Amino acid sequence: MRIGTLKESYVADAALFDSRTQHAWLAIATALLLLFPFMASDYWLYMACLVAINVASSTGLNILTGYTGLVSLGQAAFMGLGAYTVAILQTRYGTPFLLNLLAGGVVAMLGGIVVGIPSLRVKGLYLAIATIAASFITHFLFANLRITGGTGGLSLPPARIFGLDLDTSFRLYWLIVPVMVLMLLGAANLFRTRIGRAFIAIRDRDISAEVLGIPLLRYKLLSFGLSSFYAGVAGGLWAYFFRVVTPESFPLSMSIFFLAAIIVGGMGSILGGILGAVFMTLVPELLKLVFDWLPGGADLTVFLSPVRLIVFGALIIGFLVFEPLGLAEMWRRTRRFFHLWPFRN
Amino acid sequence: MNPQRISSRRRSLMLGAAAAGATALTQPLSVLAQGAEEIILGGSIPMTGVFAFAGIGINAGIQDYLKIVNDAGGVKGRKIKYVPEDTGYKVDVSVATFKKITSQNKVNLYYGDSTGFAKTINPELDRNGNILMTGASFATELNDPKKYPNQFMVGPDYTEMFGILLNHIAKEKPGAKVAFVYSDSEFGRDPIESSEALAKKLGLSVPIKIMTPAGSVDVSTEVIKLRRAAPDYTIFHGYILAPIPEFISQGKQQGMTSKWMGTFWTMDSSTVMKMGEVGDGFMGVMPFRYYYDTEKAPMLEKIRAMRSEYQSTAYIQGFLATMLFTESVKRCLDAGKPLTGPNLKAALNTLKDFDTGGLIGVPITISGNSIPVGRVYKADMKAQKMVAASDWIKL
Repeated sequence: MRIGTLKESYVADAALFDSRTQHAWLAIATALLLLFPFMASDYWLYMACLVAINVASSTGLNILTGYTGLVSLGQAAFMGLGAYTVAILQTRYGTPFLLNLLAGGVVAMLGGIVVGIPSLRVKGLYLAIATIAASFITHFLFANLRITGGTGGLSLPPARIFGLDLDTSFRLYWLIVPVMVLMLLGAANLFRTRIGRAFIAIRDRDISAEVLGIPLLRYKLLSFGLSSFYAGVAGGLWAYFFRVVTPESFPLSMSIFFLAAIIVGGMGSILGGILGAVFMTLVPELLKLVFDWLPGGADLTVFLSPVRLIVFGALIIGFLVFEPLGLAEMWRRTRRFFHLWPFRN
Repeated sequence: MNPQRISSRRRSLMLGAAAAGATALTQPLSVLAQGAEEIILGGSIPMTGVFAFAGIGINAGIQDYLKIVNDAGGVKGRKIKYVPEDTGYKVDVSVATFKKITSQNKVNLYYGDSTGFAKTINPELDRNGNILMTGASFATELNDPKKYPNQFMVGPDYTEMFGILLNHIAKEKPGAKVAFVYSDSEFGRDPIESSEALAKKLGLSVPIKIMTPAGSVDVSTEVIKLRRAAPDYTIFHGYILAPIPEFISQGKQQGMTSKWMGTFWTMDSSTVMKMGEVGDGFMGVMPFRYYYDTEKAPMLEKIRAMRSEYQSTAYIQGFLATMLFTESVKRCLDAGKPLTGPNLKAALNTLKDFDTGGLIGVPITISGNSIPVGRVYKADMKAQKMVAASDWIKL
């Protein structure tokens, strides 16, 4: 509890951002997001867009795994469905990109609902294995259908708005980051509604949830659908970002990446999804910067690259050992410290 | 200790991390100072991950050729600086690396690590306009100067590699039956359709095409299908090593008399030698001479003088890529033209009967995006070497 914060109504109690300090920080974060493209190099803009796409997809997986307790290894497959839908619509029909993104999300959602059907009978690792099938089936379809361009995949033209091609990281930033922010707000608000609460109830004890009047069939599939919708939109953004979509663009390892991101970040927390995706995407790059400072240059790169991977792995293990609740919990602890400051407890 | 309390050590660690992060984020925001005369060769090099075996060789090859060039004073007095970074053979990381290196340096030459990267970065190369790129991919799709005007490949594309093998087969055994075994990947499927048509044109037949999962190990059912087709030659493509030894071993056990062949990424000497006894007589296409070849090759002698231990064909590929980059830069500067992607590519395309110092056994001409030259080599397990089984074949 923050010192001096008094809630006088349920609405105030349920608000996403409940204090002036939070509003101030929110304003600062928004200003930084708006200013960032004008200050950063192409490299950092690229990384920002990549992080934003990964945050969107991780948040989707967090809805399913973190909040509903259904482990999925199909997130990359759903991203692929979204990406291919966008690529096909863009190359064949030239439909507006926002419509394409929405269609990508919807197609992925339908895919997610189909893949989610086993969740009614199996849970945990069994469900994870069942969802792996999504990766293999979508890979087969992408590689063998004529409409998906076979193994060579599809190259798509840039998204276009008011005659302007969104073909640079700078321009794409203004598409990807706002969409990500909308998706984050959507996810955060979801858990203030009956649907979100039902997901949490299912995660905590599905039998009890059903006793409480939550239809498991509807809500589990809804969770799969929402999660896949997020993945589909993220995949659509991915397609506009890289502009080449091939069957090998969305491997199983990508699904593991997202699962790792929400575990490291903190499952069942919107902030956890964000921090996890940022950590998993940026830390390897930041480690490269650190290693770049070491003397030796190109001669040492070949020796230092494996070391960098080892350090990254050790960091993940370290976080899991010392903070099993993820980066979000570390953040909460830091916040609590400042909330109580100058008092110690 | 109260878990909510943040100790002073943790606080100082957090502050330290924040300071390090801030420095890291601000450092590459500006283009770092570099010598005005330096020419930058950037590289998305896979030094970790599944392709590290090749990336490490490529990296060494690039470094060694640049050492020769820079020790001799550079190109018209301008030294070439190599700026590589590891990609782990992931397309998104390769693109990040490209963005990072090009943000920090004025890059004119670039080495990319995969087909996916080459395709993804192509619009960026066109927009940038100052970069000539090559890489580790021999994808047929990239061999299109109209679609990929600022790229080239250091050797024949995969379809041309098959073409070289099929030409050799048609000469050695007219009307032979040739089986294609390939992986279910973009890499594996690349030359299959077009090569089947070529085989027919050369009077050869393709009785069977077998596609296996990329990482397959148990191939017993596929071997049975292959034995039934009774091919005279079997060409593997889309693999590095596995499951080729399994195919050969089981095929031989079942009495198959096929000759076994592979393409570039299988054909490094150390890879073939890993097959052991079953690999004896294994053949394949190689656009370059091997490190230990005894035919006259002054550049190989230089390499052997620099490195006494065996260097892979990936090393030779990196070395030759840098030689061609350097020659393009030289021709561009000689003509007084600025170092732009189109100028560098045009200079590269002026190469006619260019002597690679024996790295490729015949003078080369680059009229498009590939070098359609190669030779069939055969494994001699007793000598632990690859030996020439054909003359150089130009398509």
